[in-house]
Amino acid sequence: MKTITKKPELLAPAGTLEKLKMAIHYGADAVYIGGTQYGLRSRAGNFTIDEMQEGLAFAKKHDAKVYVAANIVAHEEDIEGAGKYFRTLRDIGIDAVIVSDPALIEICAMEAPGLPIHLSTQASATNYEALNFWKEEGLERVVLAREVSMEEIREIRQKTDIELEAFIHGAMCISYSGRCVLSNHMSHRDANRGGCSQSCRWKYDLFEMPELNERHSLLGGEPLEAFSMSAVDMSMIRHIPDFIENGVESLKIEGRMKSIHYVSTVSNVYRQVIDKYCEDPENFVFQQEWEDELWKVAQRELATGFYYGIPDETQQLFGKQRKIPSYVFIGQVLDYDEETQIATIQQRNHFTVGDEVEFYGPGFTHSHQTIEQLWDEEGNPIEKANKAMMIVKMKVNAPVKPLDIMRKKK
Amino acid sequence: MIEIIATAESVEQAHSLFDAGVDAVYVGEDQYGLRMPASLAKEEIAEIAKLAHEKNKRVIAAVNAIMHNDRIEAIAPYLEFLQSIGVHAITVGDAGVIHLLRKNELSLPFIYDAQTMVTSANQINFWVKRGAIGAVAARELTYEELKAVQEKVPVPIEVQVYGATCIYQSKRPLVENYFRFTDQKKPTSKEQNLFLSEYKNADKQYSIFEDVNGTHIFAAEDLNLMPHLDMLIEANITQWKLDGIFTKGEPFVKIASLFVEAKRAIMEGRWSKEACEKLNEQLIAYHPEDRTLGTGFFLKSPSEIK
Repeated sequence: MKTITKKPELLAPAGTLEKLKMAIHYGADAVYIGGTQYGLRSRAGNFTIDEMQEGLAFAKKHDAKVYVAANIVAHEEDIEGAGKYFRTLRDIGIDAVIVSDPALIEICAMEAPGLPIHLSTQASATNYEALNFWKEEGLERVVLAREVSMEEIREIRQKTDIELEAFIHGAMCISYSGRCVLSNHMSHRDANRGGCSQSCRWKYDLFEMPELNERHSLLGGEPLEAFSMSAVDMSMIRHIPDFIENGVESLKIEGRMKSIHYVSTVSNVYRQVIDKYCEDPENFVFQQEWEDELWKVAQRELATGFYYGIPDETQQLFGKQRKIPSYVFIGQVLDYDEETQIATIQQRNHFTVGDEVEFYGPGFTHSHQTIEQLWDEEGNPIEKANKAMMIVKMKVNAPVKPLDIMRKKK
Repeated sequence: MIEIIATAESVEQAHSLFDAGVDAVYVGEDQYGLRMPASLAKEEIAEIAKLAHEKNKRVIAAVNAIMHNDRIEAIAPYLEFLQSIGVHAITVGDAGVIHLLRKNELSLPFIYDAQTMVTSANQINFWVKRGAIGAVAARELTYEELKAVQEKVPVPIEVQVYGATCIYQSKRPLVENYFRFTDQKKPTSKEQNLFLSEYKNADKQYSIFEDVNGTHIFAAEDLNLMPHLDMLIEANITQWKLDGIFTKGEPFVKIASLFVEAKRAIMEGRWSKEACEKLNEQLIAYHPEDRTLGTGFFLKSPSEIK
């Protein structure tokens, strides 16, 4: 009989305070955020210390953890102030920092003792001896490189006891993380200091030069296909039991730049899968609706990366892209009156009477309906909700809860 | 003391490089080392080590690959072998290898070389405290940064003064995948001399190939710091590395001898603008015609990079 020795943590990205709250509300056990310094997503909404404190207070109330990514590969000019930064993170109660640069690891260990350190995937940890090295250095957890296979995870688990974290969903670097400086060379933006310009997803010619200065293009396909290095996204939705059985402590969703709609949906789905499996692993049956739900917010095709083999051409974005049915976040429930079945909703995108909409909430609750009537805040009937963030009321078929989300097909 | 370190593609070339006056050769096997001009067999590496000892030179072996479990398993005997033939140092970029060196009590000195990741004095000092006798600076560092790094570390940093520089490594077979998608059957190894160019900036061409470590892409310009050696001297940077991955055979040996000549001129106090220009002209003549030369990030200001 299968027994679950340890239920893994579901770790979600939170680019902003609002996303942090939604991720936790929708089932994340922990979130990772970026500060205004040392993070790799310079364009994501990054947290000030005050915002971190507010996020932490919310997280503690819901028994969730907050990690801060400080995963840049620092140059001389970046290092000053790092010690103070880590001390501040420790003192406000951040649960761990995610670091890849040994320079920052050392500064953190020396100047902010007591603040747990997780090795970022950026450091490309791919073997058990590397994990043993970092364990002896006092690190608490290693985020595995995305190139590690499930079989390798099994072996790593047998040969080391440091905590393991692995990516289960989201966009991926197609290179070894940290070993790509295309962006530095092609657009003067340092990929390892938050400036990645995603050069891998650009279009390239591929050629040989049999004679000097005579390019002989090797592009092929009908119609002609550019050379590109664009990876599809990862989804391990059908393989969560593999991680749990191999003792991975933390399952990570990528995407500090992703929307509330995305973060809440993906967290909600994986929460379900983890709970259902851990509740009764013997009788666990995969539900197609979980996967269907992920497609509603998917941005690219989905695949399993390196977990079950070296990715072939089907895990890259070639050819004409299929239009993925995508949904748009149109409203958030603020309140619900059980007696009248009237929900108060904050508009997030345009919708009108007659729209087919879907509500979803934590615990994987779903309901579908057509919008029959709408009122503005004063109770005047309206046809459409077309002002950003306006408050409207509508009659709903099934009960909803505050923070439930209303969406519709694009 | 300036040291010229050059990659060697064969026993014969190692011979010629030593005769040309280089101080150390850098060799390796693709299973364990990254992007060597040739993947040498153990016997060849042993012979080169023997040669180095006879000629009172040094040999450095590449063990800087990103290792997965299977390789970390296989590497212990390889490290034993390198130690037994008297390799002077190895390059390492994977913390797992450092852990093994320690665990197996091997006395192989290591030079930290995690390629693009080696960007600060603090980071190098972290590895020095854990036994590193040197470090290979990332090619993305500017002169200003290199100088500041060397000032703050107690070991010599290696700076590449000549040759191609890798800017990308993926474990995926990206060229093979492309060929499969477009239904072509073509080899993808470095001997094919394949290039990429951006649609939007077609002038620049980037070498690309595949080997056991995945897909590798190189900068559009090969490095040539011959015109700026005085800056290296001023920064007290003494380990000058030449990479011959795309400059094969005799021309590479000739280019190495030019750097040896420069080193001698500097040490004998007869380095001048004219001498430098003369050597640089010769270097350009020996450099492969289909490859551009440049200074990479060396002359850029740190603030130019966002």
